[in-house]
Amino acid sequence: MPSGRATSLTINRLNKYFGGNHVVKDLSLTVAPGEFLVLLGPSGCGKTTGLRMIAGLEAADSGEILLGDSDVTHVLPKYRDVAMVFQSYALYPHKTVAENIGFPLKVRGIDRATMERAVREAAAQVHMVDYLDRYPRQLSGGQRQRVALARAIIRRPAVFLMDEPLSNLDAKLRGYMRAELKHMQHALGVTTVYVTHDQVEAMTLAHRVAIMDHGVLQQIGTPREVYESPANLFVAGFMGAPPMNFVRGRIEQGRFVGPGVALPVAGEAGPRDAVLGFRPEDARVVAAGAGLFDATVFAAELTGDVTLVTLTLGEDTVAIKMPKEYEADFDSRVAVDFAPARGFLFDAASGARLPAHLVRAGAA
Amino acid sequence: MSIAPRPAVHRRWLEPARIGAMSPLGGIVAYGLLGLWAAFVLFPLYWVVVTSLKLPVDVNTGPYFLPWVDFVPNLHAWRGLLVDDAGPTFRAYLNSIIIAFSSTVLCVLIGSMAAYALARIEYRPRLVSILIFVLALVGACVAVGVAGIDWRVATAVALALFVLLARALGRRFPGAVHNGDILFWIISQRILPPVVTIIPIYMMFQSVRLLDTHLALILAYTVVNLPIVVWLMYDFFTKIPIDLEESAQLDGASRFLIFFDIVLPLARPGLAATTLLVLILAWNEYVLALFLSTSRAQTMPILVAAMNAGEKGILWWTMSVVIIIMILPVILMALILQRFIARGVLLGAVKG
Repeated sequence: MPSGRATSLTINRLNKYFGGNHVVKDLSLTVAPGEFLVLLGPSGCGKTTGLRMIAGLEAADSGEILLGDSDVTHVLPKYRDVAMVFQSYALYPHKTVAENIGFPLKVRGIDRATMERAVREAAAQVHMVDYLDRYPRQLSGGQRQRVALARAIIRRPAVFLMDEPLSNLDAKLRGYMRAELKHMQHALGVTTVYVTHDQVEAMTLAHRVAIMDHGVLQQIGTPREVYESPANLFVAGFMGAPPMNFVRGRIEQGRFVGPGVALPVAGEAGPRDAVLGFRPEDARVVAAGAGLFDATVFAAELTGDVTLVTLTLGEDTVAIKMPKEYEADFDSRVAVDFAPARGFLFDAASGARLPAHLVRAGAA
Repeated sequence: MSIAPRPAVHRRWLEPARIGAMSPLGGIVAYGLLGLWAAFVLFPLYWVVVTSLKLPVDVNTGPYFLPWVDFVPNLHAWRGLLVDDAGPTFRAYLNSIIIAFSSTVLCVLIGSMAAYALARIEYRPRLVSILIFVLALVGACVAVGVAGIDWRVATAVALALFVLLARALGRRFPGAVHNGDILFWIISQRILPPVVTIIPIYMMFQSVRLLDTHLALILAYTVVNLPIVVWLMYDFFTKIPIDLEESAQLDGASRFLIFFDIVLPLARPGLAATTLLVLILAWNEYVLALFLSTSRAQTMPILVAAMNAGEKGILWWTMSVVIIIMILPVILMALILQRFIARGVLLGAVKG
């Protein structure tokens, strides 16, 4: 059931203040027609405020919002042709499932027969046809979620907005609904903006991820770009479970120097304070002296598919994913090894990624 | 040092047998007190019913408590009031019903809309604008009343002055009042008893020739009870999750549709409680009715009070009948509305 009228969404230098709090700072981004964009960030980063400005529930203090070619910055929510799924689902408790789903059509004065057909069609899409006469209080969390989705899709909006729609579900249901959401968005082809603080949701759902922190857009790109080429420390530390490991140190005379670490660097001579980052799954624990640098085993935890080894390195700790058969004694000395290309260097002061990279010891 | 657990000695009378129950002694005390209180409250009602069934001789030689035992019940008082002398009673009854129900409907409708606006829309009128408005209003009244200027001219001039001054001074004195201040101002209208304003109210209705009409009492009761409705409903409206209204907005609903289709149904417990309260206040109101009605619009409280001063002495048996038929509609409304008052309609709205 492709809507055939997917619309682009453009945001230009959007700003929002709450009193003296600058919660969204110069947000600019473009969502292509039919694209699934995820706004990702920790709570309080301005992602929900950004979404609410797109919906029209908050007024932007400056900047503009365009749906397709039309400027909707100062248009009332009801004229924007956007549908939103709230974190709380926001189902009308005194209306049945059918009345809830049909509400957007009822408001528009669409005749009863057409409405009933559309309600059944939308309900069928979320597998809720058997529950049309129930009230929201008689439904489980997952079913309420489906009703909220059906209410959003029934009128084929130009843009779908979703504010952490899965966060009230238990882990198993969340995984299932995630796949369903992705499938449905693909089938409908509706431009979607989805807000979440869960990086797994962002990675799995998004065509592109926009990561925000303190009201500022940090990086926007495909999940792979954001994961494999983070623009700064914040993005690197936010993506991945567990996130990227950081070792604090300095770049001096063509070398990265940290606690027990001295590695040759190309592209940057220093001196400057820097942070070395590497992903837990890119590194291996090897015998002491056989890797890039030595460290002490703090703990080894079997999580099921892998063993997560935590090592201490001066004041920093790093986590490394090892095969599930791996075992290590507490406090034993080991070494960390990874391909130099898998290491990232960041400026310690600004957090920005440095154009420098590690090189093999022999090549320096 | 380890602390020894308390020995599990079960004190049979002082401790409950299971969690969530009352101890036997506590139960006896609590139910004893409740029983006493119930008797205290219900006895007058019983007494009124019994008295309405007595002959004058039973009342005067009494007290008799139990029909068929102490005295022989007789319907003479009921017959006297509802058959022989039905006219005035019936008219007062009808007046009371029309006035109390109309003013309640009007009051709850207007009051809940005002309360909703205060709960959801931010108002910031400038203090100086309000001051200028009051001054302009006073000026216009003086001009019309004292100087004898045509009221249309006075109104136009006052309005023009208000607009000009408010614009000129508004920027220099930015102090503004907020929704909370407005709400307090509204409820403060109930701090003084309505009786202190009875003379101006009387004169106003006199000048528009509405004295002794239903409309006068309906309007007066509506105005007097509005602050209560606004105050109570404001609280109920702020408790409705705003997500529901935002969702309805995005679904394309107008403010009025949201109010009548989403908010009011969800505020039903509050609406029922407020309606009942306002209805009882209007139904029992005495002072305003005393001043604003003389004969045609007299209500039940006036009729009952008048019986206290008949030339035949107080006819207790007749008065009892009047009191019984007077409290019946309120009891009926309470029974109908209490079904809504205690029900959680918000269940299933916003939680997973």
